[in-house]
Amino acid sequence: MDTFLLIGITGIGLGALYFLVACGLSLIYGLMGVLNFAHGAFLSVGAFAGYWFAVKLFPVTSNLSFALSILVGGIAGGLFALLVEQLVIKRLYNRHIDQALVTVGVSLVAAAMLGGWFGHDPLLLPTPTWWYNAIQIGDAFIPVDRLLYIGVSLLMLILFFVILRFTRIGLVIRAGVENRTMVQALGINVKLAFSTVFFLGGLAAGVGGVLIAGYSGGVSPYFSGTWLIYGFIVVVVGGMGSLGGSALAALLIGISRQYVNYYAPGLGDFVVVILLALVLIFRPQGLLGKVAH
Amino acid sequence: MLRWKYSRQLLFSLLAFLVAIPLLPVDIFRSAGFQQTIAVALLYGALALSYDLLFGYTGLLSFGHALFFASGAYVSVILINRAGWSLWMATLGALVFTIVLALLVGSAALRTTGIAFAMVTLAFGEAGHVIINRNVGGWTNAENGLPLNADRIPSIFVGVANTHYIFWLSIAILVLTYAVVWWVTESPAGRVFAALRDNETRVSVLGLNGSRFKLLSFTVAAALASIIGVGMLIASGSAAPRYAEANTTIALLLMVILGGAISRWGAVLGGVIYSIAQTRLQDLTQSGFLDGLPKLIGGPLEEPVFILGMIFIFIVMFSPGGISGAYYRIRLRYLTNKSKTPPVKA
Repeated sequence: MDTFLLIGITGIGLGALYFLVACGLSLIYGLMGVLNFAHGAFLSVGAFAGYWFAVKLFPVTSNLSFALSILVGGIAGGLFALLVEQLVIKRLYNRHIDQALVTVGVSLVAAAMLGGWFGHDPLLLPTPTWWYNAIQIGDAFIPVDRLLYIGVSLLMLILFFVILRFTRIGLVIRAGVENRTMVQALGINVKLAFSTVFFLGGLAAGVGGVLIAGYSGGVSPYFSGTWLIYGFIVVVVGGMGSLGGSALAALLIGISRQYVNYYAPGLGDFVVVILLALVLIFRPQGLLGKVAH
Repeated sequence: MLRWKYSRQLLFSLLAFLVAIPLLPVDIFRSAGFQQTIAVALLYGALALSYDLLFGYTGLLSFGHALFFASGAYVSVILINRAGWSLWMATLGALVFTIVLALLVGSAALRTTGIAFAMVTLAFGEAGHVIINRNVGGWTNAENGLPLNADRIPSIFVGVANTHYIFWLSIAILVLTYAVVWWVTESPAGRVFAALRDNETRVSVLGLNGSRFKLLSFTVAAALASIIGVGMLIASGSAAPRYAEANTTIALLLMVILGGAISRWGAVLGGVIYSIAQTRLQDLTQSGFLDGLPKLIGGPLEEPVFILGMIFIFIVMFSPGGISGAYYRIRLRYLTNKSKTPPVKA
């Protein structure tokens, strides 16, 4: 039972990390139809900014410095995302394939720049002393970091929810996901909504990048590749443009991957792809998606 | 017509020159290293062309093409090493396996279109990479890859002294790929591919089943990729997990965009240039002439991917059509100017 619980909570923690990657992807796709390959670069930029802050600017390993490095990572990811949107995405308005292609280019260039500055070897992110501690829940000893991922993800989910539900720009974003042409036809400026979505997506990815660097033990320029692919899978399974769908799919994928990997080692990723295929065959619009793409 | 009237003659003379390269009395042409580099570049040219059938001619932005390239290499090396099949039988086995795999993956992925299709093929491709990298069932030897057992293949493909046979083999594979892609794109089915790329709704209004044609294009491209995979296995001597990486498909995309998706020769040229550029830029940037620059600028410039990625972004944003697109634009301007000149009065 204790192992069962441990794997379950680890799966939820993993799902929380997937959610941080996927929520931005999902909103960006839902609102603008952009398949954002640069999202992995947002993740890396956030992780490196967090690393740089924690090592160079604020080299004291305390709770405060760690919290600040998560924040710095998030802001760096958000600003970088905004820059990419303003410099390249905006200029290819409504050319969806070209937008996807150009984000591929951005991801390559960003990874090469980070590699040129920081080198290709994994760099260890300084984590607080409690990082590897475990707390007891029932009979199970749960590593603390898993709970942190869940907590940060919940905070981010709440932030997104509040912005989408209670602000004017959130209203425009939600309306744009439903029917962008109609929003534009009503004379509402959606450009601000585009930038907001990119910033928020980059923010979540940057925060996720710092946490993933803690989870996987280090930052390197190409460490985001697999996470981005999982992000895509979560978005497709959850339904594009649906925040709730992303959260649900991230949990489902995180948990099932952990359990399968424990009981049938090595098959976890395989099961995720089977799940993806099943969703595509029986529910092409995704779990909570509204329209098939 | 934009086609130059001597283009076919040019193509055949280029081919004849390529075939003759190992026989010419020029030192660099005779060196095994040069022949090896060009052989790999030609195989990447062929692979880029097989990808162009999907992306340029059918409008399917697939991110899983590397899966079929890798399946060609891995299935054939497993059949040769473990089952003791001959090279030709193993090639056939890899081809059949890949066609079945492509039919399965394609029929699931083609339920989606456009951008979602890109995501789904990416996921399937990554699943293949994970299976290879995790050594599921002990078949693939994880990240070390599977070296080809040299005793089991024809001896002309073994040893540095025989590199010119590998060189000729890669030319043969390129010609085969070119012929198949030419035949398919000029066939009635190829017209439907182009129609699907340009206006899918119209194809279905005309009463054609678009997804069947897309699956055909997907499978033909995969079959070609598997044969090229066998070629790469022989040229490099082993099947490596990086063949299945998403980055391999992304490199193919770069090649096709660089050379231009609108023409067959553009895709091949893009593949050859990209492959050579990647090896040469590496040598060039590590030669030390960038050492004087501060790390802020010099660091990224030392990465070949930085330069290639920048070129890629500029082509997508400012010069769609890549090299062949630019060529056709210039040629169009030339032809329009020529037809504008007033006829000389007799």
